Amino acid sequence: MKKTLILFIITFLFIPLAATDARGNDAAGVQAELAALRSQFNEMKGSYEVRINQLETKIEDLAKTYSISATARPQVVTPPQTTSLGRYFQSFNPDVSVIGDFVYRNTDAKSTEFRNQFQMRQTELAFSASIDPYARGDFFFHIEQEDGDWHIGLCEGYMTLLALPIDGLQAKVGKFKVDFGKVNKLHLHNLPWVDYPNMITNYFGPEGMSEPGVSASYLIPNPWDKYIELTGQVVNNRNGVSFAGAEGTSLVYLGRLKLFHDINEASTVELGTSLATGSNDKGLGRFGSDMTTLEGVDLTYKWRPLQQGLYKSVTFQNELLFSQHNRPFFDDGTDIIDAKNINSWAGYSSLEYQFAKRWSAFGRYDFSEFPLTSSSRENAYSTGITFAQSEYCFWRLQFKHTNRNFSKDSNEVWLQCDFGLGPHRAHQY
Amino acid sequence: MKRIFISILLFLSVGSFLYAESSKIKVLTTTEDLKSIAEYIGGDRVTVNSLARGYQDPHYLEAKPSFMMKAKNADLFIRIGLELEIGYEELIIDGSRNQKIRIGQPGHLDASEGVILLEVPTTTKVDRSMGDVHPMGNPHYWLDPENVKIVARNIADRLSELSPDNSRYFQGNLAAFDKKMDEKMVEWNEKMTPFKNSKIAIYHRSWPYFADRFGLVVACELEPKPGIPPSPGHLKEVIDIMKRDKIKVILMEVFYDEKPAQFVAGQTGAKVIIVPNSVGGSKEVKDYFNLIDTIIDKLVKGLKG
Repeated sequence: MKKTLILFIITFLFIPLAATDARGNDAAGVQAELAALRSQFNEMKGSYEVRINQLETKIEDLAKTYSISATARPQVVTPPQTTSLGRYFQSFNPDVSVIGDFVYRNTDAKSTEFRNQFQMRQTELAFSASIDPYARGDFFFHIEQEDGDWHIGLCEGYMTLLALPIDGLQAKVGKFKVDFGKVNKLHLHNLPWVDYPNMITNYFGPEGMSEPGVSASYLIPNPWDKYIELTGQVVNNRNGVSFAGAEGTSLVYLGRLKLFHDINEASTVELGTSLATGSNDKGLGRFGSDMTTLEGVDLTYKWRPLQQGLYKSVTFQNELLFSQHNRPFFDDGTDIIDAKNINSWAGYSSLEYQFAKRWSAFGRYDFSEFPLTSSSRENAYSTGITFAQSEYCFWRLQFKHTNRNFSKDSNEVWLQCDFGLGPHRAHQY
Repeated sequence: MKRIFISILLFLSVGSFLYAESSKIKVLTTTEDLKSIAEYIGGDRVTVNSLARGYQDPHYLEAKPSFMMKAKNADLFIRIGLELEIGYEELIIDGSRNQKIRIGQPGHLDASEGVILLEVPTTTKVDRSMGDVHPMGNPHYWLDPENVKIVARNIADRLSELSPDNSRYFQGNLAAFDKKMDEKMVEWNEKMTPFKNSKIAIYHRSWPYFADRFGLVVACELEPKPGIPPSPGHLKEVIDIMKRDKIKVILMEVFYDEKPAQFVAGQTGAKVIIVPNSVGGSKEVKDYFNLIDTIIDKLVKGLKG
C-alpha cells in the first residue's frame, strides 16, 4: 500500500515536468509552423486581394451597364388588365375575316352579265378555329350577286382531323374544294390572276368543284424525307359540268399524288398527278358506261431568293387535264340509242414575276376543249400587273383575248381590287 | 471470313451511329438565333434545324412542304413568338401531322416566355392602320442579350423536361452560356459606353431592344409604319430629323432594299450600316456572340465617323 502511494506521488510530480519538457522541445517546431502559416496567410491574402480587385472592377463595369440600361430603357408598359382579359376571351372565338372582291369588267362579248360594269363579284366570310385538341374547323361563305339578287352560299365548311392514330394521316369531312390539280382549291381572292383558267371553268364550273364528302391524306414515308402526299377523296356527284349535276345521287372518287422538292434554298418544284372518276348520268343508274374520268398533271416551279425575297420572285405554273366522257344518247329520254366516248383536254401555263416589293406582272396561256365536245376549242392569252397595296389589299389590271373556233373572239379588260379585314388563315405554299 | 467479320463490324458501327443519332432530341427552331442558343444548351445531345435563314426576313417565310417534313420529325419546335411566325407556323405544324409539337404540348416552346418586352401597345385597340404592329409587343427581343439569357433558360428547362436524364448536362451548359454572356456583356458595354445616348436612324423596328440595352436612342425609322415601305414624304421627314439631330448612322438589316437608306444618307451625310439582325445573316456570324460582336463592331465604326 505504501509502495503504491509513493509511486502515485512520484508519478503525479513528474507528469507536469515531463509535459513542460515536451513543450520546450516543440517550441521551435511550433514557431516554424507559425511562420509557415503566416506565409500561407500572406500568400492567400495577396491572392484574395487580386481577386477582390478583379471583382471590384467587374462590379464597376456591371454598375456602368445597369446605369446605362436604367436610364435608356423606357418604362416597360404593362397592358391594362382589361386588354389582356379581352385577349384571353378573344382567343376562344374563331378567327373571322371578310374579303371583298371588286371588279370592273369591260368586254366586247355581248352575251355576258355585268358587261362594262362595276361588280362586287364576291364577298368571302371566313371563320377558322380549333374545334378541340384533335381537330380544327374552317368555314368559307361566299356572297354573290345573281340575277339582281344577293345570295350567300357555303363554299367550304369542313373539319380537319389532325390527331389520327396513324402517323402521317390526316382526314377532312364536310364540304370542300376537291384536291384536283393546283388551282381548283384556290378561292378567287387567292388567284394570281383575276379569273380562273379556262380549264377550270370549262370542266368544273365558274369557281371550280366544291362538294360535300370525305378526304384522307397521307404523307408517304421515304428514305429521302421528301414531301410525298397521297390524297383520296369521295364526294357527292353534284358537279354539273363534268359529272352528274344537281340531281346526281352517286359519288365521285378522287386521288392525288403530290411530290415536292427543294432544288436549292431559293427554288422549289412541285409535281402533282390527279384522278377523278364518277358517273355523268343524273343518278338514274340506267347505264353502266356513263362514266367521266379526268386525269390531271400539274407542275409548279417557284423561285424566291431568300435575301431579296421581299422584292423578287418567279412562279411558273402549269396544268393539264384530260377528260374521257362516256356519254349515252337517248331516244325520247327512255332508251339508249348510242354511246359516245368524248376525249378532250385542256391546260394552261402561267408565269408570274415579282419585280418590286409591291409589284408583279404575269402572263397566262389557256387552251381548252370542252367535256362534251372536243371539236370546240378556246385559246386565250392573258397578261396583267398586280400592285400589292399591303398584305391585305391588292389592285390588279388584266387583259384577256380569247380565240374560239365555235363563236366570236372576245377581249376583256378587268380592274380588280381585293381587300380583307380580320385575321385570315394563311394560304398554302 | 475476314470479309464477313469486317461487314459485321461495319454494320454494327453504322447501326450504333444511327442509334446514337436517333437518341438525340430533334429540335426545330424558326430562326437561326434560336438554333444557335439551342445548340449551345443542347450540345451533343440535340440536333437542331432552323426554318429561316439569318439573311431572310423572318416575318415572311412561306410554309413550304419541305418545312412540314422537318417539323414532322421534330421532338421540340421553338418559336420566337409574339406573332412573328403568324404567317406560317400553323400551316407548317398542321401540315407536319406531328402531335408532339402542337401548341400546348411539351414539344412546343414559345421562347418569349418571361422576356422583357418593349412596345407592347397600350391603346385599347390595335388595328392594321398602325401597320404590321404586333399586339403582344415588339418581337425582336433577341437583340437584347439579357433577354437571350432568359431564352436560354427557357430552352434548358424544356430540354430538361423532355430528357430528364440529361438535365444536369443542359443546366451545366446553361451556366456556361450565362457566364460567357456576362463576360461578353462587359466587353460589349465597354465598346458602346462612349456612344451612350447617341441618336441613330433605323429602317425597321428590329433595333429598339438592342438600342435600349446599349444606351442608344432611336430617333426615326425609314418605314413610316412597321412593314410599310418608305414613301418619299416620309423620307423627307426622316431627312429633316437626321439633319436637325446630326444623326451619323442609319442602321438596317441585310434583307431590305438599301436604296431608300442610301438616298437619305446622301442627303444627310450619314452612313448606312448594314448588319445582320440574326445569326447566319452574314458569313462571319456563326453564333449569337458573333452576331452582337458584328453589330457592335460595325456600329461603333460608323458612330466614330
